[in-house]
Amino acid sequence: MTSIDDLIQALQAEGYEPDRRLATAVFLALKLQRPLLLEGEPGVGKTELAKALTRVLQRQLIRLQCYDGMELREALYEWNYAAQMLHMRAALGAAEPDQIEREVYQPRYLIKRPLLQALQTPEPGALLLIDEVDRADEPFEAFLLEYLGEYQVSIPELGTVQALARPVTILTSNRTRDLHDAVKRRCLYHWMDYPDRERELAIVRRQVPQASEALSRQVAQVLARLRGPEWADQFQRHPGIAETVEWSRALVALGRQSIDPEVLAQTAGLLYKQREDIDTLSQAAASVLQPA
Amino acid sequence: MPVADNLLGFGRALRRAGVPVDSSRIALAQQALVWVDWSRRGDVSDALEAVLVSRQSDREVFHELFARFFQAPVNAGLPWSLASSGADTQGGEVPQAPQRALDALASAVMLPPAPPESQDQDDEPAIDARFSASQRAHLQHADFRTLDAWEYRQVERWARDIRSAMPTQPGRRTRAGTRGAQLHWPRALREAARLEGEVVRLPKRTRREQPLPLLLLIDVSGSMERYTRLLMAFLHAATRQARRRDVFAMGTGLTDLSTAFRHADTDRMLAEASRRIPDFAGGTRLGPALQDLLRGHGRRLVGRRTVTLLITDGLDTGEPQVLDAALAGLKRHTGRLLWLNPMLRFGGYQPLARGARVLHRQVDAMLPVHNLESLQSLAQTLQRLLQV
Repeated sequence: MTSIDDLIQALQAEGYEPDRRLATAVFLALKLQRPLLLEGEPGVGKTELAKALTRVLQRQLIRLQCYDGMELREALYEWNYAAQMLHMRAALGAAEPDQIEREVYQPRYLIKRPLLQALQTPEPGALLLIDEVDRADEPFEAFLLEYLGEYQVSIPELGTVQALARPVTILTSNRTRDLHDAVKRRCLYHWMDYPDRERELAIVRRQVPQASEALSRQVAQVLARLRGPEWADQFQRHPGIAETVEWSRALVALGRQSIDPEVLAQTAGLLYKQREDIDTLSQAAASVLQPA
Repeated sequence: MPVADNLLGFGRALRRAGVPVDSSRIALAQQALVWVDWSRRGDVSDALEAVLVSRQSDREVFHELFARFFQAPVNAGLPWSLASSGADTQGGEVPQAPQRALDALASAVMLPPAPPESQDQDDEPAIDARFSASQRAHLQHADFRTLDAWEYRQVERWARDIRSAMPTQPGRRTRAGTRGAQLHWPRALREAARLEGEVVRLPKRTRREQPLPLLLLIDVSGSMERYTRLLMAFLHAATRQARRRDVFAMGTGLTDLSTAFRHADTDRMLAEASRRIPDFAGGTRLGPALQDLLRGHGRRLVGRRTVTLLITDGLDTGEPQVLDAALAGLKRHTGRLLWLNPMLRFGGYQPLARGARVLHRQVDAMLPVHNLESLQSLAQTLQRLLQV
């Protein structure tokens, strides 16, 4: 990977349409070997980027889905206590206590969780996706600092585990809360917006090739209007890229060559998932489709 | 190296505009510039943004400063010139530029933030001495609206010192204990090791108690003026341990005070809050303000456990239907909705005003907050209400 243009082409070949700003951030994260923090509304393609990037880099994807109350033993490592206990019982009387102790704390009794797996993946290394890091709580962010800053973790019984090959690390956040500055300082940052019309059209073309060109264009246009200044205020949530693709597929399945107010109202539930939003769209279907 | 100088200056300007940029970031930015094609201005901007910005809200300021610092081509011989000197001369041309960016550029006239009013602290022991025990007992029950300036100041200090345990519930994290569904293996193993491998007791993982996330919605309209400042001071101190605390002021519009509430010092919080609220002591339109909250900040109301404290007297000038719909929406997104109502100072208070009727129908409970005593009992009441 020698330039931003190469990266854009490689991602496109894997079915992902990045804008140039995103490609620049990813390119720098790879070159400077820094974790990349992607923030943005749900459905703008944060997780998809990580998946596409694993294919481009031909690395193994290791995913850590965060949730409230996540602890070290679920993210980093845990000792296999049952096996250790069995070993202790079996060795009792047959070996010196010192020896038993040494044997019990061996890497083979270590259950590796995603962070440790990522560090111990041999060349070319892994791609670690720490997904929805804003769902975890603040103490969990503190666990991450050593990993994000040094690509290493400390295990009291074994010492420091260094990365065999530096994992490419991507964090995503839906920004339900602000992350701690200490985390942000260790990462490059990219705010992901909803795609503009051209990019959305490219995505629809790539993901739903069965859709006619006219239909794809209309889909991209409707989505751009719904998220645009004129309509955005009317809705509580905005449809993401996944919804766009799903909706296009539905229109194809219905045998549609174009969108009329009736079909827009009928398929509103594919774009919006809140009852009020669906009602709003159903009622305003005709004016949404009117040329500006 | 001119680029290094420019980056340093650029970094300083960003810092002045409140974007957290330290020297390690600048060093990283320099490394980043090695990797991009300088003839592509957009790439340079994108690269610096990825390294120097770490918050969505800082992006606009970044772009504004970038545009002014690294100007478009003026000399055909250069791809684009690095001209930091031109930044000041252009100061007034683009009036819609973010105020933060303009402030940062006009650093020469920037004043340091006003120091906290130090004379207040000198006066404090004197104030305290003015109040005898019987006066304190009187102030304990006095409505905040009836206090004179001295009393108000003193009561505000007392309100800050009210210690309260915020409502908690069992969290997802665990600690070792005697009850629980899961075994605490590390401890079991340690104990077994001590007893030559014999397991005589099974320690369990007990769920830790964690404070519930809080959402504070504070009415800052004229009718609430006497209560707002005091209640903000009280809530700032009393809800300090909340795991998560989002705060909004509601007047004719909505103001996000969460960052102001992050200041540890209550005086600084109050200064920052009054600087941010554009419509302090104006009118109230609770309905539209709540709608703004749901639309613009809906993502922050994730937890169905969130306890929402709505601080208002219910004297709303907006349409009741709008308020009703907004409250219903709010209830769907949060756990409990509690109304802290200073109007409960009147013994036989009935929520009869149009807005108050709607509020009364929608909220889970209504609690008084008009004197020191009611604030003291608030924390206990909260705990009791939330355990039902």
